[in-house]
Amino acid sequence: MADQHTQFQKTGVQAKKLRQTRETRAKTGLIGLEIITALLFLVTLFPIFLVLINSGKTAFSVTASPLTLPEDWLQIFRNMKTIWVDPNIQYGSSFYSSLLITVFSVGAIILISAQAAWVLVRSKTRIAAFLFMMFVAAMTIPFQIVMLPLVQWFRILGDFIGFRLLRTYPGMILSYMGFGMSLSIFLYHGFIKGIPYELEEAAIIDGASRVGTFYQIVFPLLKPITATVMILNGIWIWNDYLLPLLILGKGNRIQTIPLAVANFAGAYVKQWDLILTAILMAMIPVIIVFLIAQKQIIKGMVAGSIK
Amino acid sequence: MKRLTALVLILVAATGFVFAGGDQEGGGVPRLEILQNKPEIDAQLKAYAAAWGQKNGVQVVVKTVGGSVDVDVDQMLTIGYAAGEMPDIFVFPGVADYEKWSEVILDVSDQPWVEETSVEFTYDGKVYGFPVAVEGWGLAYNADILEAAGVDPASLVNYAGYKAAFEKIDSMKAELGLESVVSMAASISMSWVTAHHNFNSLLSAGLPYGDLSVVNDLLAGNVDMARLSQYADWVELLFTYADQAVLLTGDYDAQVGAFAQGKAAFLHQGNWADGNIEAAGAEFPRAFAPHGALATETDGIFASAPAYYAINADSDVQELAKKFLNDLVFTDAGHRYMVEEAGMIPAFASVELSPASPLSQSVQEWVASGKVYSWNQYYFSDSFRDDTLGPIYNQFASGTLSKAQFIQAMKQAFESR
Amino acid sequence: MRKQKFDMTSWLLLLPALFAFVMVIIIPFIMGILYSFTDWSSRPQPDGMQVVGLLNYLETFKDPSFLYSFIVTTVYTALNMLIINVVAFILALLVTSNIKFKHAYRVGFFLPNLIGGLILGYIWQFIFNIVVPNLPLITELIPAIQNPANYILAERNSALMAIVIAGSWQYAGYIMMIYVAAIISVPGELFEAAKIDGAGPWMQLRTIIIPMTAQAFTVTLFLTLVQSFKQYDVNVSLTGGGPATTFMEKSILGTELLAMNIYNTAFKANQLAQSQARAVIFFLVLAVISTFQVRANKKQEIEL
Repeated sequence: MADQHTQFQKTGVQAKKLRQTRETRAKTGLIGLEIITALLFLVTLFPIFLVLINSGKTAFSVTASPLTLPEDWLQIFRNMKTIWVDPNIQYGSSFYSSLLITVFSVGAIILISAQAAWVLVRSKTRIAAFLFMMFVAAMTIPFQIVMLPLVQWFRILGDFIGFRLLRTYPGMILSYMGFGMSLSIFLYHGFIKGIPYELEEAAIIDGASRVGTFYQIVFPLLKPITATVMILNGIWIWNDYLLPLLILGKGNRIQTIPLAVANFAGAYVKQWDLILTAILMAMIPVIIVFLIAQKQIIKGMVAGSIK
Repeated sequence: MKRLTALVLILVAATGFVFAGGDQEGGGVPRLEILQNKPEIDAQLKAYAAAWGQKNGVQVVVKTVGGSVDVDVDQMLTIGYAAGEMPDIFVFPGVADYEKWSEVILDVSDQPWVEETSVEFTYDGKVYGFPVAVEGWGLAYNADILEAAGVDPASLVNYAGYKAAFEKIDSMKAELGLESVVSMAASISMSWVTAHHNFNSLLSAGLPYGDLSVVNDLLAGNVDMARLSQYADWVELLFTYADQAVLLTGDYDAQVGAFAQGKAAFLHQGNWADGNIEAAGAEFPRAFAPHGALATETDGIFASAPAYYAINADSDVQELAKKFLNDLVFTDAGHRYMVEEAGMIPAFASVELSPASPLSQSVQEWVASGKVYSWNQYYFSDSFRDDTLGPIYNQFASGTLSKAQFIQAMKQAFESR
Repeated sequence: MRKQKFDMTSWLLLLPALFAFVMVIIIPFIMGILYSFTDWSSRPQPDGMQVVGLLNYLETFKDPSFLYSFIVTTVYTALNMLIINVVAFILALLVTSNIKFKHAYRVGFFLPNLIGGLILGYIWQFIFNIVVPNLPLITELIPAIQNPANYILAERNSALMAIVIAGSWQYAGYIMMIYVAAIISVPGELFEAAKIDGAGPWMQLRTIIIPMTAQAFTVTLFLTLVQSFKQYDVNVSLTGGGPATTFMEKSILGTELLAMNIYNTAFKANQLAQSQARAVIFFLVLAVISTFQVRANKKQEIEL
């Protein structure tokens, strides 16, 4: 967009001259854009940079000199080790629980949302429109209104049906399915609308079942938006604090990283060095997944969000 | 794409395993659950509880909440009540919280430890709470700085004494290397310093221990204007001589940090700050000055139990819970845990150890000399202190309320409570 | 497009989603609404739970702090939506231009999304309180900022802006992605044609990019509206609701957004049923506003 400018008549020498000025102007314009983008990029990353440099410090030097580089970068690893071996944090097992919960929740959200969205797009009935509206409208429900009733309800299920959801993985995963579904169905719905129906029609004419058609033909086409759904839900679930607190409770067998890390802070004091290191440790896996899936995510958004 | 499909299939297959896993209870061993609110002693309490549990054949589970990125005990109890999982022993800070949970708090008047303490929690003549420790707060001073400035802490027994001392130290800030006279915080997230601690000077300074006359008047909406205006002078003095950055936007780290680094002569905090002051590398001698907040003599500091352990009246293991608390008071291991490991000032006469840190020792001396005022702020609800009074202090600190307006706003808050 | 029947198979495929939705959202939501008409407290109640009718709703509208946080949330939402979308759109234009490293930039702008809200608030608190007053670049431009009374978090309006800044920093990268997607999908021929007609970048933006991305705006405005209105984490950790301000002749929290007000009503003021009533009001308002927003945007899409 930035490399096109003038709008004069183009004839003879004048045209050549014009082309030259147009090119130089475009070039300076582009350099300007590059500088602006680079500056914005630095501004955006500055707070993350602060997390990084302060993870490499000892307790009080964080608040005393927040802007200096750490004297000894190896302190990051010492801090990481402190967190890793702390018997109350149990980083290893918290990491395992967080991973299990995130992977299974995201997997389940992808499956149930994709197939639900597909049904809702393809059957243009009033009931489909209503269900879609309902799923999307749920995004406007404030979490505060459902949080304690949810705990009570899960308790009732456990007491009367013996279906234990509190303090268990299934309860945690089911909760994330419920809360993560709205946005995911919304995204899938937009994406699927852009896929031509002919493909599926051909499969059905060939005698494939509806379910078969979805999983063999449609689901593979959803890869880009699936990457988007995966990363958005993954980030949220990985960092979430309040929902695990309600469903898993504190100090029970299953602990996620955010629950465990909350123990770091004293009643009044924030142990910045360790908190920041813990954030860094928690961020690394998400960043890795994001970098790997980055192209897919953008592709997914390209097709998904605007239909 | 095939890989993604394969992954999904693996996930589905593995679901069975996840659903099989859960939070099973240890078979046959009784389980005692404790909910407490001091993250700084979490590790020590867990270690002690584990050893005690081993000896008594009990699985003790300690849950700690209350860090700065965390919920508090009341929220945890509310969630626990909805989930049908209440702890067997839990802490509560005072009257307002007792009233919220009184249905599930056991009467422990008959317990042996009651004889050993004078700061247990009582309500209608019955004992309901085991004092976790004794804590004291007031104005801690840096003895090196006061000596260099020629200020005798013993002179700080009334408003005039403080005013003179603050003015003198303020005039010598440069030579003493100070940035401010007193380290005080009044931002909204530090309302616990203003609307909990400082507020208590209005409620109990200069009164006999346990005297509720001022509290009862205020609860009834009768405001003693003379006392309120003396108190307003005191708050104004603290705010005027505080570092404004710390006062308006500082957090606990900033407030304690300024004192620990020798940039402030006084610190408006309690003995719990000792650990943090030490962590910042401070080595200067320090103690609590008399809390001369009023025009009349107020030679004492505020000391009480910061919280009490309650036993859940619905618990299946009440006897074990009672034994756990008694053992803290009557065994050497219990004493060592409270004083040496957790660094607390014990609330029981049977404990002969004393804590090593200077501010805790100072509190113990004040308590021993009987010059203490009670903590009466818990007669007012959390929300009254945080949401009604907190903003008033904050506006006074930032200058959006004048002293006259501050007095008026406080008066109105009590009258319309 | 041809229709598909809404048959058993359709229900079967919808079943898992409906199951989770009913179990986790619908049932607790209905319980929550019912509780708002009672004196429920999720604490032991000796006399049991009593129905109190509309009392909780009436009390709510009498509370200045609720009315105030309604106003402040509206202001916050408007500002936040505006800034996030403007910033995100500009970023999207930048990273879809011919500059180098645009893929790296896209990743970089998205990164703040990876940090949880509570922590993010603490990081920004640290920046506003400690970094800003000491950064030579800023203090030379605005010397007054060194006066603690002018600290960003010490004054109500600037503290509210601080939440906007932190919230935008977190969310703009995500919204940018949606705009990037929309811009990339504009057919290249349109730009070629525009170039031949001699349209400059500004003209192209107005006549091609904005109309062609109108559908994206429906989505981004909806997402930012919901996100802003529900803001809680950053509010709690960055300002804690402070500093105080005077409203209806009372000192109250100056930057307490609705979600925080509801939470505080539940746990600090010990009024769980009333907090449910507030949440119901919150839900109704947000549902109505977002319906209007989506309708208005859809209309716009057609006109453009």
